[in-house]
Order: sequence, then C-alpha cells, then structure tokens
Amino acid sequence: MTNVNVGRPVGYLCVAAALALGSLLVTGGGTVPSDGPPPTPSNPPAAAPSCTQTRESLRPTGLTPAPGTMPAGSTMAVIAGRGRLIAGVDQGKYLVGYRNPITGELEGSDIDVVRQIAAAIFGDPNRVQFVVLNIADRVRAIERGQVDLVVNTFTVTCERQQKVEFSSAYMTVSQRVLVPTGSGATEIENLTGARVCTSLGSTTEVVLRALPIGLDVVSLPGIPDCMVELQRGRVAAVSSDDVILAGLAAQDPQTKVVGRPLARSFYAVGMSPGAPDLVRFVNAVLERARSDGSLAVSDQRWLRALNPVPQPAPARYRD
Amino acid sequence: MTTGVAADTVGRPRRLLRAASTTPQRLRRVAASLVVGCLVIVVVSVLDGVARTDAVHASGTRIAVLTADAAELYRSLADADATVTSGYVSGGLEPAPVRARYDEDIARAADRAMHAAGRLPVGDPAAVPVAMIGIQLPVYTGLVETARAHNRLGLPLGQSYLDRASRLMRSTILPAAEELRQMQTAALAAAYRRGGTIPFAVLLIGAAVLAGVVDHAVLERRRTNRVVNIGLLVVGAALVAALLWWVVAVVVAGNRLDGARQHSDAATALDGARIAVLQARSNESLVLIARSGGGSSEQGFTTQVERVLGPGGDGGLLADAVRSVPDSAVRIGAIRTALVDWRDAHRRVRELDDGGQYRLAVASVTGADPAGSGVAFERLDAALASAIDIERVAFTVDVGRADSALTGLTPGPAVLGLLAAGAVTAGIGRRVGEYR
Repeated sequence: MTNVNVGRPVGYLCVAAALALGSLLVTGGGTVPSDGPPPTPSNPPAAAPSCTQTRESLRPTGLTPAPGTMPAGSTMAVIAGRGRLIAGVDQGKYLVGYRNPITGELEGSDIDVVRQIAAAIFGDPNRVQFVVLNIADRVRAIERGQVDLVVNTFTVTCERQQKVEFSSAYMTVSQRVLVPTGSGATEIENLTGARVCTSLGSTTEVVLRALPIGLDVVSLPGIPDCMVELQRGRVAAVSSDDVILAGLAAQDPQTKVVGRPLARSFYAVGMSPGAPDLVRFVNAVLERARSDGSLAVSDQRWLRALNPVPQPAPARYRD
Repeated sequence: MTTGVAADTVGRPRRLLRAASTTPQRLRRVAASLVVGCLVIVVVSVLDGVARTDAVHASGTRIAVLTADAAELYRSLADADATVTSGYVSGGLEPAPVRARYDEDIARAADRAMHAAGRLPVGDPAAVPVAMIGIQLPVYTGLVETARAHNRLGLPLGQSYLDRASRLMRSTILPAAEELRQMQTAALAAAYRRGGTIPFAVLLIGAAVLAGVVDHAVLERRRTNRVVNIGLLVVGAALVAALLWWVVAVVVAGNRLDGARQHSDAATALDGARIAVLQARSNESLVLIARSGGGSSEQGFTTQVERVLGPGGDGGLLADAVRSVPDSAVRIGAIRTALVDWRDAHRRVRELDDGGQYRLAVASVTGADPAGSGVAFERLDAALASAIDIERVAFTVDVGRADSALTGLTPGPAVLGLLAAGAVTAGIGRRVGEYR
C-alpha cells in the first residue's frame, strides 16, 4: 500500500483491512465515534490471506529508564552512543511537521513526539537529526536503516506492518476534503469527474482510488505540492487526513475542509521490526505522554484550529 | 571550377593569337582577354573581401557580443536561483544584500535577454531559446515572490513555491540559456573559419592573369625584340601588389584570429566552469533545504565539480582553458586551488549535516562561517569572473587587430585590379596604334 504500483485489488483489500481495524477499536475501546458511512468499495475482492487485519503493538516494559541510562546492548544504547536520534519526518505539513521559515527550525505535533522520545533517551529534546522523507519513502527508510524511527503522519496498516513495527497510536485522524471557499462541493460525491489531489503512496490515495464515483485522482510527492496545484486552479480539491488539511486551510483562508470522514486511521511511530526494545521504549514514552497530559498539550497547541482537537488514541498491545 | 577559369584565361590569348588574321586584331583580342581577367580579379576580390571583413567584423562585434550575452545570461539566471535558494536555507527574512543580489541578477538576465534578442538577425534559430527565456522568466519571478510572501507570514507553503520555481529554472530556463550559448559559440567558430581561410579564388585567378601577362610580354619581346612595354610592367606590378596585399592581410588577420580563437576557447571553457560550479552551489543549498541527507542529490555536486577539475583533479574545463591559452596557467592554477578549497569546505558541510550538525552546516553554506563553504565559494567565483574578463578583453583586442588587418582589403586590391585593366588597355593599345 505504500507504493503506487501496488495493484488495485490489494488497495481494496487494505481499505477493508483498515476498516476492520477501525470497527474493532470502536467496539473495543469505545472512544472513537462511529459517525459517517465507511467508504466500502462496491466489489471488494476476496481477501488475501497474508493481510487481513492490523496487529497491535508491543507492551512497554514498565517505565522508561532514566535519560542517559539506557540498558547496555539495547537499540536505545546504540542511539545514545551515537549522540543523536535520527528521525524521519516531514517539513511541509503546517502544524504537524513543518519548517518554520523564520527560524529555520522544524516544528509541529509530530516533531513534538520526536522531541519527547529524544528527551527520554538523552534528557535533551534537541539531540535529533531530522531526515525529511517523502510519504512514499517512509517504509524504505526504515528498511534501509536510514532512520531510527519515522514520525510523519504514518498511518498503521497491515500491509506496512509486514515491513514496519508500529508503536501504539498517538493520534486518531479522519480523511476529509479541502476545497476553495467558493466551491459548491460539500461531499466527495459532488466532485465526480473532478481532479482531486493527494500524496503519492499514502493510505488516502488508496481510499480515493477505491471510491466508485469517478474521481480523477492526482497523486504528488507531498501534500504541499497538492496545495500549490489547488491555488493555481489545476485541481478542484485536496483530500488528506483532517489534521493535515487543517494545516493547509490555516495557510490559505480561501479554502475550507468539507464532507464526512471518508476513512478513520491512526498515526503511530514507525520503527524496524528488528528493534522490539525500541518499540517497547517508545510505547512507554507515549504511555507517559498520554498520562501526564503532554501529548494532549502538544495537540492543543498545534491543532486547536481543528474542532474537536484530535484525541490521543487508546493504546492496545499484543504483548 | 576556379582552376578551369584560370586555364581558360591562360589558353585563350594563344588561341586567339593564332586564329586572328592580322596582328592588331590579335593584339586587341589579347588586350580584351587580359582586361576581362583583371575585372574578374576585381569582382572576386571584392566579393571575398566583403564576406571576409563581414565575418571578422561580426565575430568581433555581433557574435562575440551575443556569446558574452549568452554566458552572462546563463550566469545571472543560475546565480539568481542559487542566491534565492541559499537565502532560504539561512532561515528568517532574506538579508538585504541577498535580496539585492537576486534583484540584480534578474535585472541583468532580463537586460541580456533583451540585448541578445535585439542583436539576433531575423530568422536566426537562436531566437527560439531567447523567446523561451522571455516567456518563462516572469513565471519564475512570480513563483519566487509567492514563496517570499508565504515565508514572510511564517508559512511553510513558501518552500513548495520555491521548489517549483527552482525546478522551472533548472528544467526549462537554464537549458534554453545553455542552448543559446552553444549556438553562439558555434556561430563564432564558423565566423573564424570564414575570416581565416586561404583566398584560393583570388590567388589562383590572380596568378593565372599574371601568368597570361608575363607570357604575352615574353612572346612580344621574342617577336619584336623590343624593350618591355611600360603598360605591361604596370599591369604586372599592380597584379603582384594586389596578390601580396591579399596574402599579407590574410596571414596577419589569420594570426590574430588564431589568437582570438584561443582566448574565446579559454573564455568558453571558463564560462562552462563557472556555470558548473554555480550548479554545484545550488545543489549544495538544495540538499540542505531538502534535508533528506546526501545520497543521489550529492551526486549532482560531485559530477559538476569533476567536469571542472577532471577525474584526476588536473584536467577538466580548467585544463581546456590552459591548453587554449598557455599564458593563463598561473591564473587557472589559482582557480583550481580555490575550487579544491571549496570542495573541501563542502565535504565538511556534508560531514556536519550527516553527523547531525545541521545548524553548523547551514552556517557554513550561508557564509556566516568565515572558514565555511559560502565564503570559499565567493572566492572561487570571483577568481573565475576575473579570469573570464581577462580572456574576453584579450579576445576583443585580437579580433580588433584582425579587423584592422583587413582594412582596405575590399577596395585596395580591387583598385589595383582596375589599374591593371587600365594599364593593359593603355599598354597594348599603344602597340596597336603603331600598326596604323
């Protein structure tokens, strides 16, 4: 699902899988509202046995060790020895992960998550080397060991779980549509035949292509590229997760977010399956960020334009 | 064809001489054929002289100016893009000098493009790339201004506009400028060829007519046993003078043109070097902006620097420049050292960035660090600029000398040819008169 060249059937299948996960969590956790009809494809193909549902993350082993005292031989000790955490992020998603052009620094809710993890390892949130990744390059960067972890609006899917171990979810989001304020479109169905832009290799691309309403889906390397196309009048709408669209709308008052949620998904930190200790460690960091309110404070700081501010997702573990 | 005409001219006097019934008639026919020969020399000389003077003059003025325009246009465009890109890397609002440099680059690029457009002859294929630049440059500046407006508001969308602008520059505008530059370089080379070739037509026809005159004089002396006719002496002297004029002018001009060509070859190589290092400079900033680590984008830097330095560090475009103008070895050596310094500074930038020291890497590139890559690049660029200036000035001097060597080549030998024609009529006419 991370590549465009994945065939349509797999796409359908993964939408079905994501929805399966969504409904599972709705009945289990009960914290996610279930408004909006699911974008069920008209004729879902038979499920392939390899990928039917997402699995949960690894349970943290108690509290995180104090900064600077990572257990010998652990992945965290390797990172500590290197002196910096290498994190795959984005720099174009306003409020989520973006470069502030005035300070030149990266900021946003995703960046806060990275800094929390760095602070837990080093006691210093600035010991981070940021590597900016295109949406389509995130899985590969983890596979090649180019980064320790990816915090870049990374949606948990069972397809990706074959190559990536995800942390517990730190944010629940839903896919919606951004249109110019003058547009009459209020739902995705009003955009039949129109050019709708999203990022290449994203789950939102799969959802859009699966919609049986004849959209002309355009996929570009990043969502900001879609925004430029929208401003230049070359596409009619941009579809992505609500937090990302909120960042676009905040940069251009002549746009608005419309329509029901098309899909519901969970952002998590992506890591290598070969580093389960790091996954448990990150889950412990997230656990603490949920309980001491720092995650909610960060979301409130960056994403208050969204109403309501997205809630931290409940953590579920497979042990 | 030329030799055919010459053979005819040689053969005709004898045939006519034998065929004619009376001596005066024969002499008149000899005179007529020699006059025609002289007039042919006049015509061929004027035609060749005009073509040659035009070619050298054009190479010294129009084409050389267009070549300089094209190089300057390319450099200004590449520098504008590198400036706006490195201004963005440093973060914050652009410092006034950076903004001023960009404005100057755009103004100079627009000025050079207009200047070049005005000098191109109607129907010149080089008008196509010039028009492309004229169409796309406003689009580019529009995208850059949109990026600036967003940056000023602290919005990251500016980077997407900047990225788009830079892609437009690198994929469309710079290739058009490069096409113009190559067209003008080729036109300049063609002009040298036209200006410096041996004037076969003039020399062969001239030699043939001269041979005819000498032949006639020898036969007459044998037939009449009288001293050589004054008129024929004047004819011979005028023809020899015309031919010498041609030989000397062409040899001297050819020498000067060779010198000019060497300087323009060196300037072309150095222009190429300056463009290559500007592209490498842009690449350095773009890699930092993309923040995606080195990898494939770093390859762009290495390739450009290798074009200038050569694979072993002692070849490339700089070696081409020295081969063309051996006197420039010291200057070029200094450029080579400056480039190696910059490459070393760039390697430290990459080490800093790859080692997680992003801020130090940025400080090095933007010139905040006096031992950094930005400062080293400025030194290199200044050295290249002054070396290019020296070659262009030397080129202009040599083409000017070639031009003055050809002064009078169009009217001079032609007047001598007319004089010879007149002397033929007068000289042989006097003999004919003796038969009355």
